[in-house]
Amino acid sequence: MIDSVLDFLSSYMFLIVGVVKAGVIAVALLSMVPLLVWLERRLMGRFQVRLGPNRVGPMGLGQPIADSIKLLFKESIVQNSADKFLFFLAPSIVVFTAIVTFSVIPFGEAVEVGGQTIGLWGADLNIGILFIFAISSMGIYGIVIAGFSSNNKYSLMGGLRSSAQMISYELTLGLTALAVVVTAGSLNLVEIVNSQSTLPNFIYHPLTFLLFFIAGVAETNRAPFDLPEAEQELVAGFFTEYSGMKFAMFFMGEYINMITMSALVTLLFLGGWHSYIGLDIPILVFAAKVFLLLCVFIWLRSTFPRIRYDRLMTFGWKILLPIAMLNMFFYSVVKVLWPA
Amino acid sequence: MFEILEQAWAFNLDRETVFGLVEQSFVFVVGMTAILASLGVILCASPIYSALYLIGNMCCLALLFLFYNAEFLAAVQVVVYAGAVMILFLFIIALLGAKKEERDSSFEKLMGMGFVALLFCELLMALGVGFTRPMEGQATEDAIATVGSAKAIGMELFSHHLIPFELASFLLLVAAVGIISLAKFSYRPIRKRTRV
Repeated sequence: MIDSVLDFLSSYMFLIVGVVKAGVIAVALLSMVPLLVWLERRLMGRFQVRLGPNRVGPMGLGQPIADSIKLLFKESIVQNSADKFLFFLAPSIVVFTAIVTFSVIPFGEAVEVGGQTIGLWGADLNIGILFIFAISSMGIYGIVIAGFSSNNKYSLMGGLRSSAQMISYELTLGLTALAVVVTAGSLNLVEIVNSQSTLPNFIYHPLTFLLFFIAGVAETNRAPFDLPEAEQELVAGFFTEYSGMKFAMFFMGEYINMITMSALVTLLFLGGWHSYIGLDIPILVFAAKVFLLLCVFIWLRSTFPRIRYDRLMTFGWKILLPIAMLNMFFYSVVKVLWPA
Repeated sequence: MFEILEQAWAFNLDRETVFGLVEQSFVFVVGMTAILASLGVILCASPIYSALYLIGNMCCLALLFLFYNAEFLAAVQVVVYAGAVMILFLFIIALLGAKKEERDSSFEKLMGMGFVALLFCELLMALGVGFTRPMEGQATEDAIATVGSAKAIGMELFSHHLIPFELASFLLLVAAVGIISLAKFSYRPIRKRTRV
């Protein structure tokens, strides 16, 4: 009896491993969010020559817990004029797509545990990078739907701005990522990382790295590209009407996207889990690089003023996109002339 | 009609196909969802919900591509149609204001019915021609790499279908240029211009 059960389990081992991995990734990501909020507030405080949160717990570490409890118990207000179904759907789309995007990010080589080869990733897809772009482009729906289901002019403006911005910058993001894909010769993220085992990509691809990072900041709607939620013009943009936990879900989506974008930059340009200095703990190396990039995101936010909307679009379409196309063309020619 | 179905069933039972029963049922469920979503597109009174149903339909199609191991096509389907084209649809609907349409029985409705009838006839015709054949043999990684991978599709597209592909891209370019010239440069009749 037990034998047959064990046989059954071992033949479906891949399924069990997959479910466990999915659970671990989702829980880890969601618990990263409060920590990231804490990090951002502390760092912003330092950048602006003040202390930042330091009352709750040591170094203010209890602050994110207090905040999440507050958000959970807040009254969730849904105004009468809202389209109820879409109003509830929008934040869940944002969080869902953010978590699913992260599922294809690899943290290290596959490891052997008890005779099972377990990859340190949610899924190793042959089209890994395309999958990320596909799902993150679905995430825009959350913002657009939030914009018009609120039935509020400011929300609508925020939603429209955000969708226009994300579509514009997604082109640059895709084209620059394609330059890396052409060099590595694969869409698979693990293979892209392994192609950088001797030198990280940003040495051959300085311009691509810069373009990708700019487009990545714009894609995650972070300052200085946080037009959708420009407080001075649009109250709070697309989530003006949201309150309580639904409001927090938009924040969760934004911060998870930030982590995903940092991880993607690490994988494509910084050599993923290769440390190059002899430190051989893949996950730690990867996490350190992601942490560094997250700090750069926060640094950008506290240093740059927000740019004007028309300049944002001009910058995206007339400057970034042509450069990205030329860049892509250049690396394709290089690849054809010197295949190695 | 029924003997064709029986034949198809026998065919599936006879050979070792890529799909097992579980996968077949998944495909069936996703296909049914796609059909229901497309029904939702045309039956919904509010344009926003119609657009959302269309997005659902496209996601189902992408899933179907995935089930048939065409992963590249699936990703492209989501990126291009669900991710870019439908966003623009929603954009326009949100800008124009989404009022509920009134239901009426008019000539257009008759046209629509005719079109649906035509589609059904097509479906029956397809059934009459024969069932789609599943790929035989084991679904190993190598086998999949020769069918649905980005490389396989690229090789096929740029070696066998280069000219149609380039013509199609040229057509899109013409459309883009046309849109820009229509939107940006106002057209004035020649006579008016000569008079000034």
